[in-house]
Amino acid sequence: MKNDQPLGANTRRIADIAYVRSGDKGDVCTVGLIARRPQDYDALRRSVTPGAVHALYGSWVKGEVACHRMDNIQAVVVVMQGALGGGATQTLRLDQTGKSLGHALLRLPVLEGTKAPGDTP
Amino acid sequence: MKQAIRLGAGSGFWGDAMDPAMEMLEREPLDYLCFDFLAELTMALLQRQKNKDPAAGYVPDAIAYMKAMMPLAKRKGTRLVSNGGGVNVAAAARQIASDAAAIGLPDLKVGAVEGDDLLERMPELLASGTPLVNMDTGAANLADRAGDIVSANVYTDSSGIVQALAQGADVVIAGRVSDNAVYVGPAVHEFGWQRDANHADRIAAAITLGHIVECAAGCTGGMSSRFAEMPAMGRVGFPILELGANGDCTITKTQGSGGRVDCDTVKEHLVYEIGDPREYLMPDGVADFTTVRLAQQGDDRVRVTGIRGRGPTGLLKLVVGLRDGWIGESMAFFPWPNAYDRVMKARVTMLERFERLGLAADAVHFDVVGLNMLHGDAAPRMSPQDANQLPELGLRCAVRTRSAAEADKVRRAASSLWIMGPGGTSFGTPIKPRPVVSTWPTLIPAHWVRQRVTMVKP
Repeated sequence: MKNDQPLGANTRRIADIAYVRSGDKGDVCTVGLIARRPQDYDALRRSVTPGAVHALYGSWVKGEVACHRMDNIQAVVVVMQGALGGGATQTLRLDQTGKSLGHALLRLPVLEGTKAPGDTP
Repeated sequence: MKQAIRLGAGSGFWGDAMDPAMEMLEREPLDYLCFDFLAELTMALLQRQKNKDPAAGYVPDAIAYMKAMMPLAKRKGTRLVSNGGGVNVAAAARQIASDAAAIGLPDLKVGAVEGDDLLERMPELLASGTPLVNMDTGAANLADRAGDIVSANVYTDSSGIVQALAQGADVVIAGRVSDNAVYVGPAVHEFGWQRDANHADRIAAAITLGHIVECAAGCTGGMSSRFAEMPAMGRVGFPILELGANGDCTITKTQGSGGRVDCDTVKEHLVYEIGDPREYLMPDGVADFTTVRLAQQGDDRVRVTGIRGRGPTGLLKLVVGLRDGWIGESMAFFPWPNAYDRVMKARVTMLERFERLGLAADAVHFDVVGLNMLHGDAAPRMSPQDANQLPELGLRCAVRTRSAAEADKVRRAASSLWIMGPGGTSFGTPIKPRPVVSTWPTLIPAHWVRQRVTMVKP
């Protein structure tokens, strides 16, 4: 994803459809994205994938990324390994505990109208 | 046996405000008021204090909280449960007991829960052949770092708290029990839940509910994406669990307080700082957060039901703190016009100073404050022409070194910008170097830990 390129006028971003909560566990940044409306949950799942997350963060996320679904609350939990420059006590970043880092996910564009990964046809 | 109990959340971290807890105690009927004071880093910090003074090593706030709340809590029959004992639970318990005597509560019973601290047993553990693989990095060479170990604490379950309550403790003070054990313990005690398959779902429910409220205002409007619509956050109410013996619960907050409890504030905290939501691993058991059902029950009341889980894995998380060098940090700020060019020139000047000062660093890191400090590579790139039009920008530098003297070279290099730097360079107060304690999280078999409960009287 080229996050510095403007999106089309009709393209929504994750910021338009989800709430976010971001935090840490050691060098792992863990981010909850919660669909504001149940009808946007499929689009949220479809749009937030490990590939999209890696492309967004570049060298700031060095490890594996997992996107866990929570159908019960229409949320996606994004778990990013090696994402905090070594973790709260060692990192050279200001945002030592990743409270802000997850908010960058709100920049991802919403992929409209196709099946989410893992959906049966 | 009670069919339902009310548990209040009194603190979400060491440094949290005390007035919301006091307000709750004054306004609400409560069976328990529970306090989480510990973060991953806290134990190493407390250990350092204890090394300087053998009577220190607990969370000082925990003592102040208990002293302020014991009289009213005792009168109302509210029991106080915390993990504020840190690495010196015995000293904390003695201090609370002596405070109780001094304020006219000679009958108060204080239960001290110990057993999480493995610092003295580390040589034995290292020699035992337990792999002790670092959960973050995969490294397996902790033995090579044995000389740097400053703390070693195991996230322990609520069984010590349960025992202390069974022995009649009015105040329970523990060490590194899990954050949610201060909620699970009272539930297990009151409802007589056994640690067997029949009760795994109910214990999982208490773990989940403890997780939701353990950061206090974190589920009542704090840290919210909907911050703009959260009322009176400076007077926010901390959350209350109305927990039934079957594990079903209603979450609410102090009447007449600020903030809000609705399905979204609860969801926001349910997803906070977790891994796989199907496997929320805690020493008391494993909760499946994908089974949680939420329903709004009126203003500031959310019903939480349906939680499933299973028993504990038999492994416990041990966090070892290691002395690991120093961090030096600086910040400087630059005005329009051409703020971006000023930042870039200052960066080059600092690098030249580092060379002159012979800085020996493991890593050097720069941020442009206002452009990429928080999101790094994920921040959109702005052209220098556009950035030069911004009203102001900052340059932040942080370095990792082996000694305090090396780390201090960052402060010195930044100070040189006063006169060597671009016009308009401005600072706040220079930042002192800080020692690094890195954490080594690992898993150990549960048999390494035996909790002990001591009742202390004034």
